[in-house]
Amino acid sequence: MPQGALEGVKVLDLTHHVAGPYSTKLLADFGADVVKVEQASGDPARRIPPFYHDETGPDKSLLFLYLNTNKQGITLNLKTRQGSDLLMELVRDSDILVENFSPRVMSSLGLDYPSLKEINPSLVMVSIANFGQTGPYRDYKANDIVEYALGGLMYIFGGYHREPLKHALHQAQFKAGTNAASAALIALYHQRLTGIGQHVDVSIQESIASALRDVVNNYTNTGAIRRRQPNHSGDLTRIRQTSDGHILPNPGMGLGLDWNVVVEFLEAPDLADDRFNTSSARLANAEELGEILDRIFQTKNKYEMFHAANQKRFTYGVIQSAEEVLADEQFKHRGYFVEIDHPVVGTITYPGAPFLMDGTPWEAKSPAPTLGQHNDEVFGKRLGCAGEDLARLRALEVI
Amino acid sequence: MTLPSSTPTNAPLPAPLQAPLMGVRIIEMGQLIAIPWAMKMLADMGAQVIRLESCERLESYRGDSVYLNDISGEFWNRGANFYEQNRNKLGITLNLSKDEGLAILRQLVSISDIFAENFTPRVIKNFKLEYEDLRKIRPDIIMVSSTGYGFSGPWSGFGATGPATEGASGLAYISGYADGGPSMPEIPYTDYTAGEHTVYAVMAALMHRLRTGQGQFIDVSQTQTASATVPEALMDFAVNCRITTPMGNQHPSLAPQGCYPCQGDDRWIAIAAEDESQWRSLCQVLGRDDWIQDKRFSQGLARWENRLELDVLLAVETTKWEAHRLMSYLQNQGVPAGAVLDSKDLLFDPHLKERGFYEVLAHHPSTKIPPLPYASRPWKLPGSPAVAGKPAPLMGEHNALILGELLCRNEQEMAQLEEQGIIGYAPSNPQPVQRPPLDEQVRVGRMQRYETDFQEKVSEAFPSTPESG
Repeated sequence: MPQGALEGVKVLDLTHHVAGPYSTKLLADFGADVVKVEQASGDPARRIPPFYHDETGPDKSLLFLYLNTNKQGITLNLKTRQGSDLLMELVRDSDILVENFSPRVMSSLGLDYPSLKEINPSLVMVSIANFGQTGPYRDYKANDIVEYALGGLMYIFGGYHREPLKHALHQAQFKAGTNAASAALIALYHQRLTGIGQHVDVSIQESIASALRDVVNNYTNTGAIRRRQPNHSGDLTRIRQTSDGHILPNPGMGLGLDWNVVVEFLEAPDLADDRFNTSSARLANAEELGEILDRIFQTKNKYEMFHAANQKRFTYGVIQSAEEVLADEQFKHRGYFVEIDHPVVGTITYPGAPFLMDGTPWEAKSPAPTLGQHNDEVFGKRLGCAGEDLARLRALEVI
Repeated sequence: MTLPSSTPTNAPLPAPLQAPLMGVRIIEMGQLIAIPWAMKMLADMGAQVIRLESCERLESYRGDSVYLNDISGEFWNRGANFYEQNRNKLGITLNLSKDEGLAILRQLVSISDIFAENFTPRVIKNFKLEYEDLRKIRPDIIMVSSTGYGFSGPWSGFGATGPATEGASGLAYISGYADGGPSMPEIPYTDYTAGEHTVYAVMAALMHRLRTGQGQFIDVSQTQTASATVPEALMDFAVNCRITTPMGNQHPSLAPQGCYPCQGDDRWIAIAAEDESQWRSLCQVLGRDDWIQDKRFSQGLARWENRLELDVLLAVETTKWEAHRLMSYLQNQGVPAGAVLDSKDLLFDPHLKERGFYEVLAHHPSTKIPPLPYASRPWKLPGSPAVAGKPAPLMGEHNALILGELLCRNEQEMAQLEEQGIIGYAPSNPQPVQRPPLDEQVRVGRMQRYETDFQEKVSEAFPSTPESG
C-alpha cells in the first residue's frame, strides 16, 4: 500500500467549525497524523445541520463527519493548568499546530506563539481568523456573509436590481481552510530545510479578496467599478433555463467567435440578422437578444445540449443538483464518492478526493472521531500517562 | 539575475528569512486562472516559475481588459488580468507545433521540479507531454494537470470554464435567490477553488519528494475541488434524499441574516445576528428596542419563521445609515456586520491597507503603465516571507535569459529560433478585445460607474516604493 504524501507529519488540531477543520482534513486525508483537540462540549460543527436521518446527536452532523475524517479525537480543557500542560506535551513533538479561535483566545490561554516556540522552536503554528491577526478589523465578528461583503465578492454577485448575494453554505470558510493547508505546508517545507518554525497568519477576508478577477483591476486600470450585471447585457455566457433545469452556454473560448456557427448550433434562424451578428450589434440590442435566447433555450434538454455543444468544442456547462452530481458518470468513473463506516451512523457516502495523486493517493482510513475517542491512545500511548493518571484527569474534568 | 539550482535537497541551506520555495523550478504551461493563479502563489513564495506562451495562440488575458482600454500598439503587454495572474514569473515564448519548440520544452523539463498545465488532455496527449512521457526525461518530476472534469473519464475531453465547473459541481444549483434559479458571481469562481487546491496539492507532492525523492502525477478536477466544498448538500441527498435549493442570503436556522440597503446608490450592508445578545444589540443600534419584546421576533425560532417580514423591517432602518458607519456601530456592539465593498472600497479598505494586502508593482517602462497595487496572498509567513514583487513578464521577455543563459543557446542560434518562428516577442495574429466605451458599459449595466480621477487616487494611496521603482 503506498503511503500518503504527508506520512510522518504530526499535526495538533485546535480548530472548530469549518475553516480550520477543512485545513486539517486536507492534511489528514493525504497522510498526516492529526490529533483533534475538542472541549468537553465538542466542536460546534457537531451541531450543524443537516443530520444523518434528521436525528440530532454529536456524531450525526453530515458536515462534521465530512470535515473530520482520518483524525484522532481527544478532549482537553485548555482552561485548566493540567490541560494546557498536556497540550504543551503534545506541542513538543508536533510539526504543525492549527487554530482558528478569535485572535485573542490563544494568548489568553497562555498558548501564544512565543510560548509554544519555547517548547518547540521548529513548530509551524497556523492561525486562521476572519480578518487575520492584526489590523483595525481584527476583533470584528464575522461569518460567511460578512466575509463575502468585506472580501469584495458579494457586490458582484446577484441580480442587477436586487440585493447582493453570497454562495450557499460555507464557501469563505472552505477557501480559507484550503489556503491555510497550503500555507502550513509551505512553512513546513521551510522548516524541513532549515529547522526553523514560524507563526503563519491566514485571513478569511483576504482569502476572498485574493481570488477576484476584473474587480480591483478594473478600477486601477480604467476607473470603472464592476457591478452585478443585468441578465440581458449582451453577454452570451449567462445561465439560461432549459426544459429540465439550467445550462451555461458559451459560444467558445478565446477571441474568435463565428456568429453563423452559433446560430446554426442553436437552430435559431431569427438570430441570423445584422441586429446580432457583431459584438457591438449584440450589445446595442442586448435585451432583445436575451429574450430570444431565453425562448430558444427553454425548448432544449440540458444534458443533450451539453454533450452536443462539447462535441463541437463549445465549452457549455451543465448545472447539476446534488442528485445529478451523485449520479454523474464522470464522478463515477473517477471514483469520487466513497463509502466510510462510522460507529454511530454506519456506512454512508462522502465526497472523496478533491484531486488525484497517483503516487500517494487520498485515502479514507478512518471516520470522524467520536468525542474523546482517542484519549487513551493519545494520552496513554503517546504521552505515557498511566491508567490511574487518566482516571484522575477525567475526574478533574481535564479530559 | 541568478538562476538557482533546481533541486532543493542539493541546494545549500537557505538563510532564515529567505522565501521558502527558493530553488524550486516550475515550468508552467497555463492559461487564464486555474494554473496561473496557483503558480503565482508559488512564485511569490520563491519558486522560479518559467511560463510558456505561444505567439500563435495568444493568451486571452493578454488581449482583454487592457490598461485604459487602449488596444493600440503592444496591447498584449498591457492586459490587466494577465498582470493579475502572472506576477513574479519569467516568460518565454515557444512554438510547440514545431519539433524544435517541443525539444526545448523537454530540455526545460529535464532541469525542473514541476510541470504544471491546464489544457484539455487532448492537447497534452498530442504534444506527448503526459506524465509517462515526462518522467522519462526527469524521473522525479511532479506533473500537475488541472482540467475542468479531470484528466480521465467520459467528460475528460470537454473543455470547461470556471462557471461550467461551478455548475457541474453542485455549487451553482444551491446558490441564488430563494425565489429564483441558480446563480453565480461575476467571476470564474471555481477557477480559484481549483487553484487553491492546486497550491496545496503541489506542496503535498513537494513534501513527499523531499522525503522520498519521488515525483508523481497530480490530476486536479476543477469540478471535484468545488464539490469538496459543498459536502453537506451532497451528503444530504446521499443520506436523506433531500435536495438543497437556494435560500438567498438566509441562514438555514438563524435570523436575521441578510444584505440590506444603505444610503446612496447601490450601497448595502451584510448583517447576521447569531444569538440573542447580538439580536438585542442590533435592535438597540437601530433604535428599535421595541422589536426585542415583539412576539414575532422575541426568540430565535420565531425570528427565523418570520424572517421575511423581519428583513423588510430591517431594510427600512438600514436605509437611514451609511454602510461603513452602521458596520462600525454594530461591530462595536459585537454584531457581525460588513459593508458590501465595491472594488474601490476594497482597494482602499483601511484594514487591508494596514495589513499591506495590496502590493505595488512597477511595470516595464515600455508599457507606460504606472506602478499599480495588486492583491497579494491570503497568508503571511513572517519567518520566510514572499519575494519582493515583480510584474508579469512581457511577451518573450525572458527568452534570452532562459534559452540563452540557462539552455546555452548562442546569439546566432537565438536568431535562428526567431527566424524559424519557434520563439517571438509578439502575437502572430493580434486580435485584441475592444471593450465598449465606459459610458456604454455603465448604460448596459456592466459597470456601476466610472471615475476619472482614479490615477491620482491610486498613486496617492499606493505610492511606489524605491524597490518597486
